Amino acid sequence: MATAAIATPGATSFGQRAIALIPGLLLLGAVGYAGKFIELSINAYAKSHHIAFPDIEFVLWAIVIGLILANIVGVPRIFAPGVATYEFWLKAGIVLLGSRFLLGDVLHLGGISLLLVAIALSLSLAFMHLLGRAFKLKPKLTSLLAIGSSICGVSAIIAAKPSIDADDEDASYAIAAILALGAISLFTFPLIGHALHMSDKAYGLWAGLAVDNTAEATAAGALYSDAAGKVAVLAKTSRNALIGFVVLGYALYWSSRGQAAQIGNKAAFLWNKFPKFILGFLLISLLATLGFFAKPQLASLANLSRWAFLLTFAGVGLRTNLRELGRQGWRPFAVGAIGEAFIALLTLGLIYGADHFLTL
Amino acid sequence: MSNAQPTASSRSISLDLYAVALALLAALLVRLNLIPPIKW
Repeated sequence: MATAAIATPGATSFGQRAIALIPGLLLLGAVGYAGKFIELSINAYAKSHHIAFPDIEFVLWAIVIGLILANIVGVPRIFAPGVATYEFWLKAGIVLLGSRFLLGDVLHLGGISLLLVAIALSLSLAFMHLLGRAFKLKPKLTSLLAIGSSICGVSAIIAAKPSIDADDEDASYAIAAILALGAISLFTFPLIGHALHMSDKAYGLWAGLAVDNTAEATAAGALYSDAAGKVAVLAKTSRNALIGFVVLGYALYWSSRGQAAQIGNKAAFLWNKFPKFILGFLLISLLATLGFFAKPQLASLANLSRWAFLLTFAGVGLRTNLRELGRQGWRPFAVGAIGEAFIALLTLGLIYGADHFLTL
Repeated sequence: MSNAQPTASSRSISLDLYAVALALLAALLVRLNLIPPIKW
């Protein structure tokens, strides 16, 4: 990811590394809270002056403030290690969000998501490879773009890169294209969802199945509504669960061509690539279903999850470097953009179909 | 290249585990009423 390159020079001990995180963590908190403050202030002003003003979620304000700071004002390097923790807060927030789901709902919606993901995945992988060939991209770059846009954005590219022995340059092209497209999705998906008058559940599923990065999918869902954000996380989590299978498929393909290392123990490979935070999410959901938490405690866990997401959304804006994305060349971006548009339309069609036949 | 990636991969795994550990610890503290109710 864009912030992965940011190291903490000289910070070796645990204490030094922890101290290096503080400025960025404070910045994440300040940007996220500023977003929440703006939302509350606008709502209070509109209410006191009897003005009908749409409720713009703090998510949008936090991302916009982050984008302005990162791309216009500039964020000093001292903040970089702490800002890079946004993904940690995302995963902790998802685990805690498990408290808002009964396990039965997880299995029902997760099952539908998995079914839709499997269909969308096979069609979108095939389409991305056709596009890559048409645009004369290197085959491994096409593989990375296909994995990134069909499964799980940057994490999937990072997981796949060593397995298919791809170049650093290909991986950074693919990551830049996926990040740029994720940023665009944040603003286009809610607009399209409102234009189509989608229900919270249908929109949340769509955002979870079509937006690449988990952070962006979560934000795109939350920008629509709280309920849509919840469903988007569940759908995206189901998609993330398949990461190991897709990476394994690509690793076997490239090793059969003698262009990547052989895979020894396939089960160990799958376990290694499996996102472990999904297990935490399921565990908390199971505990909530069994009545382990009282109602006020469930409310506290849901609110903790919201605070974790607040830090994540601030990080989404702060880590998006628009100039760097512009420097990566147009062809990987074009392949990614056309592929994304295809996946968005395909998943939209699948969701309308599922709504009709499976009752979401 | 092959030197850098396993580090990124293992960092990603430990990030997952730390995030799960922190979330479970928070859930336990909430369950045992060791932290005040969290407001939004």
